[in-house]
Amino acid sequence: MAAAHGNASPVGRPPADAPLIARLDYWYGRLEEALNLLAALSIFVLMMVGMIQILGRTIFDFPIEGYIDWIEFFAILYAVAGISYCQSQGGHIRMEIVLGTMRGRRLWFFEALAVVIGLVVVGLLVYSTWQNFERAWRIGDSSMDIKLPLWPSKLVVPVALATLWLRLLLQLVGYLRLFLDPTRTPLAVPVAQTMAEAARKEIDDAMRALEIEQRQRTRG
Amino acid sequence: MEPLTIGIIGAACLVGLAVLGVRIAFAAALVGTIGLMVMLPNPIAGLMTAGTVPYDKSVKYTLSVLPMFILIGYLAYYARMTETSFEAARRWFGWLPGGLAIGTIFAVAAFSAVSGASTAAAAVFSRVAIPEMLKAKYDRRLAAGVVAAGSTLDSLIPPSALLVIYGILVEVSIGKLLVAGFVPGFISALVYSAIVLIRCSRNPDIGPRITGYSWSQRFESLPGTAPIWIVIGLIFTSMLWGWATPTEAGALGAFSVFCFALWYGMKWDDLKGALLDSAKLTVMIFTIIWGVLIFVRFLGFARLPDAFASWVVDLALPPVMIIVAIYVVYFILGMFMDAIGMMLLTLPVFYPVVMALGYDPIWFGIMVVKLCGIGLLTPPVGLACYVVNGVRPDIPLGDVFRGIWPFVLADILTVALLTAYPQLVTFIVAD
Repeated sequence: MAAAHGNASPVGRPPADAPLIARLDYWYGRLEEALNLLAALSIFVLMMVGMIQILGRTIFDFPIEGYIDWIEFFAILYAVAGISYCQSQGGHIRMEIVLGTMRGRRLWFFEALAVVIGLVVVGLLVYSTWQNFERAWRIGDSSMDIKLPLWPSKLVVPVALATLWLRLLLQLVGYLRLFLDPTRTPLAVPVAQTMAEAARKEIDDAMRALEIEQRQRTRG
Repeated sequence: MEPLTIGIIGAACLVGLAVLGVRIAFAAALVGTIGLMVMLPNPIAGLMTAGTVPYDKSVKYTLSVLPMFILIGYLAYYARMTETSFEAARRWFGWLPGGLAIGTIFAVAAFSAVSGASTAAAAVFSRVAIPEMLKAKYDRRLAAGVVAAGSTLDSLIPPSALLVIYGILVEVSIGKLLVAGFVPGFISALVYSAIVLIRCSRNPDIGPRITGYSWSQRFESLPGTAPIWIVIGLIFTSMLWGWATPTEAGALGAFSVFCFALWYGMKWDDLKGALLDSAKLTVMIFTIIWGVLIFVRFLGFARLPDAFASWVVDLALPPVMIIVAIYVVYFILGMFMDAIGMMLLTLPVFYPVVMALGYDPIWFGIMVVKLCGIGLLTPPVGLACYVVNGVRPDIPLGDVFRGIWPFVLADILTVALLTAYPQLVTFIVAD
């Protein structure tokens, strides 16, 4: 099943006397949101550019020069920039057949284990994607058509993965804190939901559509 | 150790990690990376090979269609599609036995196709359509069943993100897949409607007719549904006649929904929210794609897919028997896993087998995606059913599950039909 989660962290800014992990989670979350906003902007630009390209090409016979190169240059933003934000929201897909049956200390142990595995693989990939960037920088790798340098977009990958690595570290601390004392309130970790809770969340999201239609009708 | 043995151990580790609840993208990337480090002459070479995948696979132009389809989905909320489509469906189909339910199937399928979110469609139409059906004295199991079942038809009707993901993973034409999905999606809706029609003709009490709409009232209801037809039409025709790439068609579709949304008064905050949600879903899908592709590269070095394919071919069983066995695996997995995870975990192994048996890659994509749709309905993890029950707690979950069984049977019939006559899928993309 899909990973349906909500971040346990409070939405607003935590008070100054809140636990350190809550404050870290909040401020780190702002950084992740900024990166996700960058990804969101790249999607909007992709839409506008695609639209201009198709009109330019079919109606005015005037395509954008190096269109595909430009798309591929900026594609990395929507492909990885929000990866840490997605993790903070528990958005990456997983199966919850086993975890869903666990409670308390055992649950926090396996959650922590899953995060450790994430730390290992993301750590390895930060190293190797950095090497991939460095190679592009060294040999002056460039795109096929209009010879855009490729190193800036290759650099985005290790940077985004490093952001994710730190988020995973924060989550590990969050889960270990709960493992040591399961009576604590979860902080800085996404909390798994049951099927019914997951459905509830989907419903709340979807009901936006009806609220919007209602709003439009009352105004129009 | 033999490469094949390493491959089998790797595949087993991946399944183990996934079951333990490790994010599938990370589990696949980990097994793939370590596998490559073990198999290549030196570990650093393996690590470097893994490190090229996230960039190389993510920036490909063909993948840029995904964020466009996702954006269409999030903007769809603001283009006033739900009530207009239901109203049109009621006026056009209401006069049939069970007509309101049949109309609901088409309305929910259309909204779900454009929004790309089955569960959202199920939620919205549980609120919009179920009360209307109950008011018209429809059986509540039927009412709940059509909403849940109709919402799963989005996976075949363009714009379908699942078909794009299939195309990316097995490297077949995304344009052809999107075109080929339309007819089976439409057939599925027709089969659903036929089931409702037959049941309600035999037992008019469960789905009475709604009469009294004039032709002018029917036509008046059509303009409101324009955003739906524009999106589906743009993407379908551009893929069929090739006047745009999938990304361009997606961009044009997103832009037209964006214009409708602005027209209906979408605010800046709404747009920002839609874009942020699109970014979150996009990065989730990209992460699992490159994670699984690292694993696929490892499997390739281990020659596991080839070995498995030749083992299956050597069994000398009738191909249709093997295909049915694969269907059964998907049917069972679909009860526990979500569609994207299920596809990405199984295709690297199943796809070469199906190709070795001589089946068409486009046809197989449609069948896999259709089976994923069925997985959204079947208990215990039929999310669509949970959503219907969540919106309408007065309809017990058991009733919703009982309500969808006729449609699951209908889907099995459709799958059988498309397996017996694959040309129903492939005729439209035949060269």
